[in-house]
Formats: sequence, C-alpha cells, structure tokens
Amino acid sequence: MLRIENLHVSVEDKKILNGIDLHVGPGEVHAIMGPNGSGKSTLAWVIAGNEDYQIEEGNLLFKGQPIEDLDPEERAVQGIFLSFQYPVEIPGVTVTNFIKTSVNAIRKARGLSDMPAGELLQKIRKTAEKLQIDSKFLSRSLNEGFSGGEKKRNEVFQMMMHEPTLSILDETDSGLDIDALKIVARGVNEMRSPKRSTVVITHYERLLEYIVPDYVHVILDGKIVKSGDKTLAQKLEAQGYDWIKNS
Amino acid sequence: MEFKEKLLSSFFALQEAVLLDDNPLIEDRRNQAFKTFEEKGFPTRQQEAWKYTSLSPLLSEDYVIFPSGDVGIHPNDVKKYFLYEMDTYKIVFIDGVYSPFLSNTHHDGFDVNLFSVALNQKQHRRTIDTYFNTIAPSGEPLVALNTAYAHEGAYIYIPKNKAPQSPIEILHFSSGDSPALWLQPRNLIVVEQGSEAQIIERHQSLVEHPVVTNSVTEIYAGKNASIEYYKIQDDLDSASLIDSTFIHQETHSHVSVHTSSLGGKIIRNNLNFHQAGKAINSTLKGITVLEGNQHVDHSTLVHHAQPHCESHQDYKGIFRGSSQGVFNGKILVDRMAQKTNAFQQNNNIILSDKAVCNAKPQLEIFADDVRCSHGCTVGQLDQNALFYAQSRGIPIKEAEALLTYAFANNVLESVSIPFLKKHISLQIASKFGVEMGFGV
Amino acid sequence: MIPFQIDISLVNLRNNDYSNYSYYCWRIQEIKGQKMAYTEKELQEKLETQEYQYGFYTDIESETFDKGLSEEVIRKISARKEEPPWMVDWRLRAFRTWTKMKEPNWANVQYQKPDFQDISYYSAPKKKSKYKSLDEVDPELLETFKKLGISLEEQKRLTGVAVDVVVDSVSVATTFKKTLEEKGIIFCSISEAIQKYPELVKKYIGTVVPQRDNFYAALNSAVFTDGSFCYIPKGVRCPMELSTYFRINQAGTGQFERTLVIADKGSYVSYLEGCTAPARDENQLHAAVVELIALEDAEIKYSTVQNWFPGDKEGHGGVFNFVTKRGLCHRRAKISWTQVETGSAITWKYPSCILKGDYSIGEFYSIAVTNNHQQADTGTKMVHLGNNTRSTIISKGVSAGKSQNSYRGLVQISPRAQNTRNFSQCDSLLMGNNCGAHTFPYIESKNSSAQIEHEATTSKIGEEQLFYCNQRGIDTEKAIALIVNGFSSEVLKKLPMEFAVEARKLLEISLEGSVG
Repeated sequence: MLRIENLHVSVEDKKILNGIDLHVGPGEVHAIMGPNGSGKSTLAWVIAGNEDYQIEEGNLLFKGQPIEDLDPEERAVQGIFLSFQYPVEIPGVTVTNFIKTSVNAIRKARGLSDMPAGELLQKIRKTAEKLQIDSKFLSRSLNEGFSGGEKKRNEVFQMMMHEPTLSILDETDSGLDIDALKIVARGVNEMRSPKRSTVVITHYERLLEYIVPDYVHVILDGKIVKSGDKTLAQKLEAQGYDWIKNS
Repeated sequence: MEFKEKLLSSFFALQEAVLLDDNPLIEDRRNQAFKTFEEKGFPTRQQEAWKYTSLSPLLSEDYVIFPSGDVGIHPNDVKKYFLYEMDTYKIVFIDGVYSPFLSNTHHDGFDVNLFSVALNQKQHRRTIDTYFNTIAPSGEPLVALNTAYAHEGAYIYIPKNKAPQSPIEILHFSSGDSPALWLQPRNLIVVEQGSEAQIIERHQSLVEHPVVTNSVTEIYAGKNASIEYYKIQDDLDSASLIDSTFIHQETHSHVSVHTSSLGGKIIRNNLNFHQAGKAINSTLKGITVLEGNQHVDHSTLVHHAQPHCESHQDYKGIFRGSSQGVFNGKILVDRMAQKTNAFQQNNNIILSDKAVCNAKPQLEIFADDVRCSHGCTVGQLDQNALFYAQSRGIPIKEAEALLTYAFANNVLESVSIPFLKKHISLQIASKFGVEMGFGV
Repeated sequence: MIPFQIDISLVNLRNNDYSNYSYYCWRIQEIKGQKMAYTEKELQEKLETQEYQYGFYTDIESETFDKGLSEEVIRKISARKEEPPWMVDWRLRAFRTWTKMKEPNWANVQYQKPDFQDISYYSAPKKKSKYKSLDEVDPELLETFKKLGISLEEQKRLTGVAVDVVVDSVSVATTFKKTLEEKGIIFCSISEAIQKYPELVKKYIGTVVPQRDNFYAALNSAVFTDGSFCYIPKGVRCPMELSTYFRINQAGTGQFERTLVIADKGSYVSYLEGCTAPARDENQLHAAVVELIALEDAEIKYSTVQNWFPGDKEGHGGVFNFVTKRGLCHRRAKISWTQVETGSAITWKYPSCILKGDYSIGEFYSIAVTNNHQQADTGTKMVHLGNNTRSTIISKGVSAGKSQNSYRGLVQISPRAQNTRNFSQCDSLLMGNNCGAHTFPYIESKNSSAQIEHEATTSKIGEEQLFYCNQRGIDTEKAIALIVNGFSSEVLKKLPMEFAVEARKLLEISLEGSVG
C-alpha cells in the first residue's frame, strides 16, 4: 500500500527526516510515535504532498507507483487522506458544503458522476450519527470557532465520508476528552478492512488503547529508531523516550 | 486673506534680518517652500484632508510673527509644567525665543540643542543638509510655511548606540506679551543606529491671548533605534496648534508617538510615518478629552513601504460640551510591503448632545499577503456600568470619570514614563472636576 | 444551511420547476439536458471558458438617434415617447442643470471621461404599436429572449416572476400584469406609467434623487428613455419577486434607465434587477437612477446582480456604470439593498437610505468582485434623520488581477436623531499582488445617543486553506471559488435563493484565471 524508502526531507533548507523506511501493507494499522520535533508530522505532510517539504532523497510509493510528483488533490484522488493536526478554518463555507464539494471533486477525478444529493445527504446524516455529531454542527462554517475536539471529530467525519484507502491521523487524539476519543476510535475502527490501511501519529499511548495498532514505530531525529508491536507503545508510555535514546 | 499677505510680504525682510542663512542649500529649500505656500495658501475645507476642520477662524487676527523675546519668566510660574527637576534635559522657549535660564541643554556625546544653532554651525551641517525638510513632504502648504520661516526649535542628535539617561523635554510658553502670536517652531530629531530617546513636547499659554503654533517636527530613526515621543496638548482655549510630525524609520526601528489632546481652541495633528526598512514597528496612541468649543483633528498616515513591518494605532476620544473630534486615519500598504501587520482602532464616546464626532478610518492596500484591520466606534458610556457604580455609592461625576478613565486606560497604559502617566491621569481627572483616587 | 439551499434548488431543477427564475433562465435551460444543474463538470466548463459569457449581439432592427445631446434631442425623446408637457419641462430643467455641472472626480477610479456628444441617447427596438400578444413582438427579439432565457411563453406558463425587459432603454414587454393587477400592483415601464399614472409619477419622481443631485443623476433626468415603475398599494404583500432585466445592445448607445418603486403604507415588495451587455471594445455608458419610496411600515427589498461587460483582459471596452440609487424610508419602513457587482469596467455606485421616519431601517449588503482592469468604487450612505433608526452595512470586496476595489460609505447621524444605531463591516480579500483594496468610511455623528460600530479587515486566501482543500481532493481553482463564496456568504444569503445560486456562479466566473 504505502512504501517509503530512505526518505530524506527538508523544510527551508533545514533537514527534518533523515532516511525513513516504512512499509504499510493493506489492512494494517501502524502507529508512529515520538517526542515533539522528531519529524512525525513532517512525515504526514510529505505523504499528503505539502510543497513546503522538499524530498532530498528516497522514494515514496503508493500502490506501487511513485507519488512524489502528484499534487495533493491527485493524491487525495488516489485515496490518501490526512487528518490534520490543526484543521484549517474556512469562514462562510459550511461543513456540508465542503464535504459535498470535496467528495464530488474526487468522484469526478475518478470518472464518476456526482453523488446524487439525496444519497449524499443520507450518508452525511448516518455518519454524523455514528460520530454523535449534532446536525446543527453541519451548517456551521468549517472549523470556524470549533473547539479542539470538534475540529478533530470533523476530520474523522470527513475521513469516513471519503472512505480513503490510506488514512493518516496526525495527533487526532489531542484535544479530545475520553468520551470523544472513544467515539472517534470507534469510527476509525469501523473503517478498518483488509483493503484499507491506517497510519496513526500520536504522542501518547492513550489512543492506541482504542485503535490497536499492528505495528508501532518510534521516530527520533527524523529516523525510525525502533519498531515493534503494541507492547512497544506501552513500554514507551511507562518509561518515556529517554529509554530509547539511551539504549 | 490678509494674514497670508502679511506672511508673504514680511518673508524677505525677515530672511535678511533674522534668518541669515549662510548655507545655500537651506536658502534654496526655504525659497522653494515659500513658493509652495505662496501658490497654495492655507488649506480650506474644500480639500478632502481638511473636510472637518476649518482654519478660517484663526486667520483673522493680526499676529506677530517674530516676537522680540525680551520676556523673562520666573521659574515658579512655569514649574508645574515641568515633569522633572531642573537637572534633566530641557529646551524651553518663551514666545518662540530660547530661554537659556529655564533650559538645560547638552552637548557632550549627544546633542540636545537649538535648531537655530544647528542651522548655522558647521559641525551640524551634514545632519541638517541630510534631514532638514527631507523627511517632511514638500507639497504641504503649512509645512512649507514653517520651512520658509524655520529658525528656532529643538535639535536633538543622538549618535550611534547612545541613550540619554532621562527624557528630553521640549517646552513652548507664550507669555501674552504680544496681543496675538503666530509661532512656527521647527524640530529636528535624529536618532542614529541602535540609539534611544524619550521626548516630551508641550505647548502652553500662560495667559489668555490668541496664539497659533504651526509646528513641524522631523524625526529620523536609524536601524534598531527606539524613540518614544509624547505630545501634551492641554493648552488654554485661546491657543491653537497645528502640529505636523513626520517620521522616517529604518530597519528594526521602533517609534511610538503618544498624543494627549486635552485642551486648546483648534488642534490639528498631522502624524505621518514612513517605513523605509524591514521589521519596523510604528505605534500611534491618542487620548482626546474635550469640552466647551474645543476642536481636535487627528490625521494620521502610516505608509508601509517595506515587508514584514507592523503598525498599531489606538485613538480614544471623549467629547463633551460642544466639542468636535475628528479622526482621519489612513493605512497605506505598498505592493512591496508583504506580510504587513497593520491595526487601527478609534473609539469615541460622546457625552453631550452638542458634541460632534467625525471619523474616517481608511485602508489603502496594494499587497495581498497582509493583515490589516480597522475598527471605529461612536457611542456612550455604558449606562449599566454607570448605574452599577452609582449604586455602590460613587457619585455620578466620579462614576463618569472612572468609566472614562477605564475607556482610555489601555492607551494610558502605553505611557512608559511613570511621572508622565500620572500627570496625564491627573489632567484627565481635573477635566472631570474630580480627585483622582484610582488607577494611578 | 447554504448547501441545503443548493440541494433544494437542484431538486426543483430536476423537476423542471423553474419558478422564480428570471434573466438567467437561459443558463439553466442550457444545462437542462443534464441531470444536475450545479455539477462539478458544469462548473469546470464555466471555469474553462474565460471570456465574458453574455457577449452576443442581437441583430434587432432598431431606431437609434444620431449621436449628441441638446434640448432638441430631449424634446425628440420626449415626443417619441408621447410624453405629457410636464415631463418635457422636467427633463429640460434637468438638462439645464446638467449643463452647469462638472463631472465628479472624487471617486477612486481612473478613466477617460465619456464624450457626451458622442453618445446616442435613444435606441429602441422598432415598433409602432403596443403588443397585444407575443405574436406581435419582433421574432428576432423573441429569439434574443430565448438566448437569454427570458422566453416569454415559458415565463407566462410558469408561476412566480413578472419580468419587465428593458433592451437598450425601452421596455418591450411586461408579463404577469394580470396577476399583479388583481392585487392593485402596478408594474410597468416608466414610460407607460407616465402615460397611465401621471399623478403617481409626478408626485414621486425626483423626490429622492433630485435632478441636481449629481452630474449623472441630472443627465439621467434629462435623457432617460425607459425603466421600470412599480407601485404596491397599501397593505399589499407582493406575491412574487418583481424582476427587471437590463441589457445594452446597440453600439454607441448609453443606457439611462429610471426606476421608481413606491411601496405604500404597510406593503412589501422584493425587486430584482439583472444587467448584461454585449462585449464591445468601446466603452458604453450606463447612468441609471433608482428611487425607492417606502411609506410607513412598508418594506422594499432591492437586489441587483450586475454583470455588465467588464472589458477584456487588457482593459479594453466595458461598461461605465455610474448609477445613483437611493431610498427614502418613512416611519417604521425598511429598505434593504443587496448587490452582487461582478461586471462593468468602472462601477460608481452607492445605494443609499434616507432614514427619515422614526424606527426606520436601512440595510446594505454588497459583494463587489473586480478582476483584470476593473475598477469599482462602491458603498452606501446611511443618513439617519429619524429617532431610533437603524442601519446595517455589510460589504465584501474581492480584488484580483490588476483591479482596484474601493468601499466608500457614509454613516451620518443628524443632531435630532435620537437612539440611532449603525453597524458596518467591510472585508476585503486580495488575490495576487497587482490589485488594490481600499476602504473609505465616513462616520459623522452629531448626536450623543448614537451607537456606531465600524470594522474593516483585509486578508488573502491562506496557503493552509488551499492545502487543506487540495488534500480533500479539491483543486486550487475550485478551492478559491469555494473560499470566496464562503467569504461572501453573509451577503449571498440575503439574496433571493435563485439569485444566490446565480450569484455564486458569477463570482466563480469573474475570478477565472486570477490565480497565479
């Protein structure tokens, strides 16, 4: 599904990633952990195609094809979805309008006709119910004046509407209380299937209790320094990152 | 216009008797300026920039243009207008003439000096040639008039990496010796790279008589320089002031101008900032508290010509009696000036039925990656808050003063000289006829 | 809520329910064959066609006066329109005033001043008798309407909108008269009103915009050839949106229409106005006057979608849109102006409210989009004369290309107006670095009980916003359209729903190619 080989990335001439190797197979859930500034979010931005991040070296393959030269929207069409750590506000554009526009834009690029309005609305309502999103929320301006939790829930909401093949959740747990966390995790878990993969970027182990990963990787200074299963996350939670630095 | 004729006809005589330029460059600038004034004359309300302020009530008197300067004033008569004891820097003028007795100038390491001295001494020639009348625009008739007659005022020169230890006070007194007086002080302030200065300027009539001051100040802030400039305008109702201040800022400099307009007949403040480097910060603050027939017009321009600069404007106005307040503020952002952050706020409270407030906060933006905003309000004191204060036993007069003080407080807070902050607070309190028992 | 509105309109379209569509019907017809009206594909097509879309010229046999302006020309216009003597005198008074006036130059626009002797002041589709039925209408004219979507047959069949069509200043047909007549509503061309209801016209014309008000108002008063007239009787709520469609067709003509809307006590009317002109490389002059009178407790909602030809990408041609619009509110009356200004080479326009009566309300909602070399100087005047009067101003400006976009507004509180309120908000969005956005608000308060608030901001579309949209599969051009629509939504939602859909598309089309 996603294959990253020896990836070196810099921003404004500052090197952030120093040779990342990562293979995410179909149906797998990978967790990426690491302290602040280790390069976790950079990895997410690079996969999504933010132009500020320069690939210096290495390969980025999705479904076997290189994607370095694709625009962000083309990657979205390929099925990559990034849940932003800091979702962006777009005043005056409602949540529904935005979802409708994006879902149909992707369908169009895939050669499909627009989703009929009725069907779309029904899907929106069903998904909103699952995430316990109030219908009033749907007619508010996108992310404007949303609480941190509302923004994150809105990201997962969009993810479920898009049904991507690769979801990257960048610090989706921050700003969520425990109840919201459970709801969001339920949404993510529902999406799990042999055809879909998920990369969960997080600071804390807490989220991984609800979205159980198949693999856990630790990034330090732009490199994956340790990989393992979910017990690695527990060990990190208990002992901190110093344990890895020192080992 | 009679007074204009008088100014024009006396110019050449004065040039030979008083001005005595021996610098051809200066003489040339003077002559150019004289021509500009001759052509344009005094501005009228037909001009957009003077839409809300008429100078015609001021132009009927037969003003003395160059008073003799034989008047002595006892320090005790003017002591209350000084902020500090005598051992700090002071440049004092009586009827436009320098008073060495009341002043305390400085010439060692940096200059706190007279404009007339700088104009004629070789050692200052370079500074004069470079900055005199080059920061101020040439087309403004009132500035041109001042330039033509420029003779006396403050000359402050701070070389690289110097900071005077105390604020510098510039004080203008009018004694009442002339029946009607027209003053034209000219200040030049040059603060070189990495230096600092705090300056307080005040114009004060000692007795009721018609005085008009047409003052021009040019300020140059070098790289990393920092200047705080305070204007105290609390004159008698017979005195008018047209203050034109032009500031040129270089990279990383910080300049703030704080104007307290608390009294006078007609006050017009033209305050123009030109940002000529990057990462500049310009701050404009104003408190205006008026009563009677007082009229104050704040006309500001911040010209953002380079990227990554900031400007903050915050003007508060409180109008009572039949007073008139004008705020005409403009932010101009050149195409070059990306990443500008410009902010302008003008809040007004009208406390009487006859008071008038006119505002024209303008934005002219030619660059796309900027954050510019302005806000303007006209309203009253919060009636609920007044009632609340009264219900806690505060008399209405004090309650009004308290709320007004609170309204103006964030501007007052920006005064970084404690003595001065207290002084302005007391002045505001006295406008409301209350003892200041709070907030200072 | 807005997307649901769009959805509802989609449903209506699929059921071939065109009710309430006026001048933009042709576009909807154009896409009738498709399943959806507002699809990405269609939008994409729109986005790909860069040039002005209304630029066809109809070859209608028309009678056009020789160029030039004199008392004689005015007498000729008046005679051709069979006007009563008082009207001729009124025009001539205006003309004499105009000859003494100078063209204003205070607005923040630059242009070659029109040569007023090089304009033809009368151009009318040739006709001698009044139409009894559509069969009598010039078939080519009907063809024009079909292109425009104002197929009269269809309009008659459908319910909802009465359309008064003004082509080159002369009202050619008005539908739905019967339905309106039953309620006592008069909706006709101003020429017809001068003939049929001279007392009403005489009583109100020039009372809100006096002849000498300004240069262009004086010119209009002298030479106006047609326009719409509307009278809503006491207590009547007009059951449909009244709509006028304006088009400048003939080359070298000026359009000087005059609109007069009178809402009698306690009545309500919503009035729509649309404008297009063919693409030409010369400048055309449009100097209209609109007067609204809202008597006690009446409400007038006046919406405009202005899409005059803006000139080409190099700034050649385009309409000079110099318009005076003003409304007078009596006690407890309300006037609400909503405008979407995407066209014209130069716009100079300040729909205003005189809040004369106590408790009257004035509103102004505006979106002005400028691209390429367009210049817009637009805003409003709210003159508070009565006690407890309220006004709201929401202005959104979007500048792209090499355009200049200015908001100019006045909020004036007279000394005797107690307890007045105003709120103004002016937001500008800049796209690219060759355009300008300017804000010139004048606030004049002479009463201590007034509460006035003014806010203005300037911003650009954020990189993060674009990336976020891109990541969700929306390409940059579409993302910009989306963000601009969001920016304008406060104003768009004040438009009648069908107009709002049209306006959204216009915004997108106007900004084509503005992304660098």
